[in-house]
Amino acid sequence: MYTIDFAMTLFVNGVITGSVYVLVAMGLTLIFGILHVVNFAHGEFYMLGGYFGIVAVMYSGMPLLAALLVCMVLIALIGMLAERLVFRPIRGRDPTDSIISSFGLAVAMQNAALLVFGPQPQIIRTEMARVTFSIFGVFMTLQRAIIPIIAAVLVIVFHLVLRYTWTGRALRAVAQHPTVATLSGVDVNRVALATFAIGAALAAGAGVMMSSVFMVQPAVGNTIALKAFTVVILGGMGNIYGAVAAGLLLGIVESFVSGYISNEAREIVGFALVILVLMVQPSGLFSFGKAVDRA
Amino acid sequence: MKHWSRVLGAAAVAVGLAGTAMAADPVKVGVILPLSGPSSLAGSEVIQGVRLAAEEANAAGGVLGGRQIELVVEDDESSPTKGATAARKLIEQDGVVAIVGTYNSAVAMSALKVAAEAKIPMTSGGSTSVGVTDMNEPGNPWFFRAFPGSDQQGSESGLDTVNVLGAKRLAVVHDNSSYGNSLADMFAEVTKANGAEIIARESYNAGEQDFYAMLTKLGALKPEAVYLAGLVGDGANIVRQASEMGIQTQFVGSGSMMTDKFIELTGPASEGFAVSSMFEPDTPNEHGAAFAKRFKERWGVNANVHSALGYDSMAVLAKAIDRAGSTDGTAIRDAMMKSGDVPLVQGPPGTTASYDEKGSVNFNIGMAIVKDGKRQLQPF
Repeated sequence: MYTIDFAMTLFVNGVITGSVYVLVAMGLTLIFGILHVVNFAHGEFYMLGGYFGIVAVMYSGMPLLAALLVCMVLIALIGMLAERLVFRPIRGRDPTDSIISSFGLAVAMQNAALLVFGPQPQIIRTEMARVTFSIFGVFMTLQRAIIPIIAAVLVIVFHLVLRYTWTGRALRAVAQHPTVATLSGVDVNRVALATFAIGAALAAGAGVMMSSVFMVQPAVGNTIALKAFTVVILGGMGNIYGAVAAGLLLGIVESFVSGYISNEAREIVGFALVILVLMVQPSGLFSFGKAVDRA
Repeated sequence: MKHWSRVLGAAAVAVGLAGTAMAADPVKVGVILPLSGPSSLAGSEVIQGVRLAAEEANAAGGVLGGRQIELVVEDDESSPTKGATAARKLIEQDGVVAIVGTYNSAVAMSALKVAAEAKIPMTSGGSTSVGVTDMNEPGNPWFFRAFPGSDQQGSESGLDTVNVLGAKRLAVVHDNSSYGNSLADMFAEVTKANGAEIIARESYNAGEQDFYAMLTKLGALKPEAVYLAGLVGDGANIVRQASEMGIQTQFVGSGSMMTDKFIELTGPASEGFAVSSMFEPDTPNEHGAAFAKRFKERWGVNANVHSALGYDSMAVLAKAIDRAGSTDGTAIRDAMMKSGDVPLVQGPPGTTASYDEKGSVNFNIGMAIVKDGKRQLQPF
């Protein structure tokens, strides 16, 4: 049982799960790093991504990749709406205000989903789920194999935006020093909108892809949000590249613990790691090379 | 003079109003079910059965000499805290005479503590764990379950797996709930006593999505059959992911996976899936078949085990309230215990609500196997 194939399968499964953690955690850490908002409603962008994906693919017959783009754009707009209506009015106030508001937003979005889509779990069915192949002893469906690939593309696009576009530069400037950024002509309101748009779109992308593998129901954001928070703390609050590394790491560690120890122990590992990191190195596992946004 | 007549008139009107209010005064019955959260799918099916039973009782003249049954519904969101709060609210504020509920066993336990203290009888809205009926003092139950508990379900599934399906190398996968644990314990105990071997036992948190790592391990161990004790969505995820990974084994599911939704969510991977079955729309139980027909007319969807148990719980309760001759909790409870002549829609033909001293009804749980996308009741 403890063969190379077994370990490889666990590794690949870990990478797939981990790449979803990465997408959700990146947005979460971005919003925290730039706006200092701890967004407890972030899992709900993932949940909406799942539902929008189902509507686009199952009811409108869109191909999965087109659905992915459309859903990301739509949910980016919803993210901007959340920023404008919920977070902007309380910006600059006590941080607990935004935490409580984001909790409220999460509850509102979950119940809206419950009203619109009902309590039944739903799933996208595509032909790709039936295309299976075996590589290096790992049995895989095409549906799942494309997840880390799409995630990698999204991470690279996001990196390029952050590095080379005006918006990206503005985002980094606000993260470093909001006052100076404002003095230099950066519109903080626009940056806040862009931050939420990007964060929501990344989570939605993860949601669309996962709705073809897992099931979507209104409370599905809770679990993924917890994982994303774990990743954000492991990677360092506000550290985007830390979140990428920590997300993959968490996915792989969970997979190996589940395979070699027990599935029960899997949930414990992530949180034990978090407590350890908070005690030993509160700035995160990857704090040596401080990331762009807060350098 | 004028003053007097006005007072008298007002008094007469008041008495008249009070009189009509008395005759039409509804009997309030509380319903606690998970209508949002992880078990909301099951909760929404159970409540359709409960509503149909209450409507039928009302159409047939109500209870206690023409009083209508009024349902007061509370959502417990599968949370034990919310369940206890809901029970307290129903009893203290709404003044319900009995409670139907709830689906999750852990939630039923915490609600039962409140109800038993207030001497208000409860009937199960799906909870199966013996943990709930074990809270009943033998001979003095406040919780009634119109179908067998996890001990009987787990042991029958175990016997069927070993003796009928012929599997000896078994794995058990269950969620970390009172329901999942109690079924898995019983299944393991019975199969081991019958010469089978449990080569792996894994658990997960209800609502978990990613079973690939766990299934990789199971795939490597190659069990002949895997018993799944958990909720319908999780079970569907496991069976589908196992098929994606090319794992070939006989899955045997617990009662909550006995719905068409399971087959829909699992897709072609559900072919050959075996599941405990207490009710099928084409049941040989005449009373059950008639119910299935009325249910379809009322709601436009097929009845399933959830709607059937909701119906039974409410129908038996309505009968007991009527027979109790009062809205007193203890009188209703005593009447519940004498329901041996009331037919149930669940179980084999002729099943009745003959509660044992711990408030459970025991009948033979069958097994259904999915063939061509439909569950087929097996003749054993």
